[in-house]
Amino acid sequence: MIELDVRDVHIHFGGIQALNGVSFSVRGPELIGLIGPNGAGKTTLTNILNGVYKPTRGEVYLNGERISGLPPYEVARRGLGRTFQVTRAFRRMTVLENMLVPAMALHPTGRRQDFVDRAMEILRFLTMDHLAYEYARSLSGGQQKLLELGRLLMLDPDLIILDEPFAGVHPKLRETIWEFITTVHRQGKAFIIISHDMETIFTLSRRLLVLNFGELIADGDPDEVKEDPAVIEAYLGKED
Amino acid sequence: MRRIDWRWILTGGALLIALSAPLLLSDYPYWLHVAIVAYFYAILASSWSLLAGYAGQFSFAHMAFMAIGAYGSGLMGKYLGTTPAVGIVASTVLAGFVGLIIGTLCLRLRGAYLALFTIAFSEVLRLTLNAELKITGGPNGLSLEPLLATTSRVPYYYLMLILLLASLGFMYWLAGSRFGLFFRSIREDEEAAAAMGVHIVRYKIAAFVITAMVAGLAGGVEAHYIGLVTPNILILGQMSIVIAMAVIGGIESLVGAAIGAILVQFSLELLREVGNWRLVAFGLLLMLTLRFARNGLIYPLIDRLVLQQAREAVIVGRAQKAKQVGEQA
Repeated sequence: MIELDVRDVHIHFGGIQALNGVSFSVRGPELIGLIGPNGAGKTTLTNILNGVYKPTRGEVYLNGERISGLPPYEVARRGLGRTFQVTRAFRRMTVLENMLVPAMALHPTGRRQDFVDRAMEILRFLTMDHLAYEYARSLSGGQQKLLELGRLLMLDPDLIILDEPFAGVHPKLRETIWEFITTVHRQGKAFIIISHDMETIFTLSRRLLVLNFGELIADGDPDEVKEDPAVIEAYLGKED
Repeated sequence: MRRIDWRWILTGGALLIALSAPLLLSDYPYWLHVAIVAYFYAILASSWSLLAGYAGQFSFAHMAFMAIGAYGSGLMGKYLGTTPAVGIVASTVLAGFVGLIIGTLCLRLRGAYLALFTIAFSEVLRLTLNAELKITGGPNGLSLEPLLATTSRVPYYYLMLILLLASLGFMYWLAGSRFGLFFRSIREDEEAAAAMGVHIVRYKIAAFVITAMVAGLAGGVEAHYIGLVTPNILILGQMSIVIAMAVIGGIESLVGAAIGAILVQFSLELLREVGNWRLVAFGLLLMLTLRFARNGLIYPLIDRLVLQQAREAVIVGRAQKAKQVGEQA
């Protein structure tokens, strides 16, 4: 069972305190939404979780092992996968090659054909198998987002962080992404989903974390969080 | 009806011409020499394309690694009395070791910074070789023993051809393996590759070490064939020629870069009569390639031949699967 512990994480860039004592835990296959106004520290937190940034203070543990300070590839190998706010498919590689990267990085002695079979299976699930030999750059923005999700399935992490998975996506692809999240969640994966789409995030997630100015101002049931005065103030401002 | 596989026909045809070239050129020994030099540049251009085109490490130090192979072998022969063969092997390892150091130092450098760093390294090496009159012979260069006990160019021709085919085969195997996959993922997006579990430090350094060794090996063999190596091989213009060969052939294709190098080398020789105008034409061709055919002039043809077949295989596979599902239903 996945266990993530974020303990009193701080980070500053020069004089800017981007995160200030953020702590929370994930136990088991939770479906968590992470929201907050622009500049609240959501992507910074993601970058700390997957090893891009080392926290100035505080620690992150994944399944009992300290991962803060480890490079991103080590974090990925320990079971934490992520997507990026702006899609980052390997554009001058085919869709299939994109899919093979995480599998081959994770299992150096595995058979390539097994990975290809698995990749084609996932691409069929994402209705993209006919694009397997197309370059990723020729895909639409939405298809590239699906490809990123496919790559995550090849990585097979315990915890998946999705940064704005629905932003700028065609409604039909949005449905596919939604189905992806719910299906993979049912298979026992934990999710942290960052989104500015309030309606979607409140419907989809079972727990909501709210960041504001680098501090975690709410953590709980989406319906309760919605009524939290601190959250309302963060989004709508304080009444004079 | 079975379709003709043009890949094998073209490969077979090219090999046949290459193998029979000494016979075809028996009355033109100079052109055999041009072919040897063209193969040498083909090794350099293709190995540089592995480093820059595949791994995204736009290095200007490739000729420096080649020079380490050439000077290393020559100096070992001069001061340690090693045979050319032993010198070539040892200097290839030495080039790989220097590649390890440069690769490690360049880990955090990208784009223009990496290019400037590697130019600086090449220049430091060139100036050192130039200044050290006693040891390296300075601007006069360093004489080397011949590798083969013959005055004929034919054995050297086949040696360089074998070296080209072997290095291409090795690099092709590498590019098709997880190494190639990870090199390209790092080139595309280092951060995303790392998030997918790719050990980017290991593979970036590996790209430098491997390509430095290939360049060093080619440099050692070429220097023993020519019998002289001078610091002039390290001038920026020489490195630019290798880059231009790879760009014209196709920077993301090992074979494309190699064919580009051979075509450019022969074209430069054919146009020798027009003097420096050939370099002007060559420069213009490079500019036009960069502007209108960023994948080069050879690579798109290869891409079409290889990927087209893979796409068709998927379509056939899907049709067969659909048919099976239909029959089961």
